[in-house]
Amino acid sequence: METHIEFTTEPIRESACAAASTGETGAEVEFRGIVREMENGRAIGGLNYEAHIPMARKQLERIVDQLNAEAPCHAVWFAHRVGWVPVGETSLYIRVRASHRGEAFRFCAGLIDLLKRDVPIWKLTPQDNVAGEGSR
Amino acid sequence: MKILAFAGARARAGFAELETAVEPTETPREIVGRVAPQLGLAEMRAAIDCEYWEWDKPVGTATELAIIPPVSGG
Repeated sequence: METHIEFTTEPIRESACAAASTGETGAEVEFRGIVREMENGRAIGGLNYEAHIPMARKQLERIVDQLNAEAPCHAVWFAHRVGWVPVGETSLYIRVRASHRGEAFRFCAGLIDLLKRDVPIWKLTPQDNVAGEGSR
Repeated sequence: MKILAFAGARARAGFAELETAVEPTETPREIVGRVAPQLGLAEMRAAIDCEYWEWDKPVGTATELAIIPPVSGG
């Protein structure tokens, strides 16, 4: 399976998360996580994302292998912002290609579920008192 | 060994990264108890060389211990 994993401090370039579709692809699913203007009932201007990037990459590669065994797909692009992300901007972008929509939807949903369970990425509001170094 | 603390764990530990000598027989619980006794491990996970690890399993020859608070990516 073709796998692309990217962490970036810049806005995600969705056009870079693609390649020419092969003849076997019959479904493509995209997901965008977008920073809301409210977090835990408080208005915010954005979120600061932090990650243990080497570990996050390793966990994601394992998750992709696991999901691909359950819902075989052809390709996945995963891009996550780190650092400050203003309200309205995309913090997470996923694109999945498969032969059929069922596998593509299951893979994408599973990837998000496991991301939120096991991948060392954190979103911090301006109110969180966690001064110090961020992503490493 | 390099000890990393992220997000909420960093605030409670009082450091983002530090170096400390460890014995192969020491466990993550013992190491964190020594360098950040005020931290409290409830809801925290340990990771050794980028793999989740049991708090009471010896670290062996690993070079990095990360303290992982509940994750919230997306």
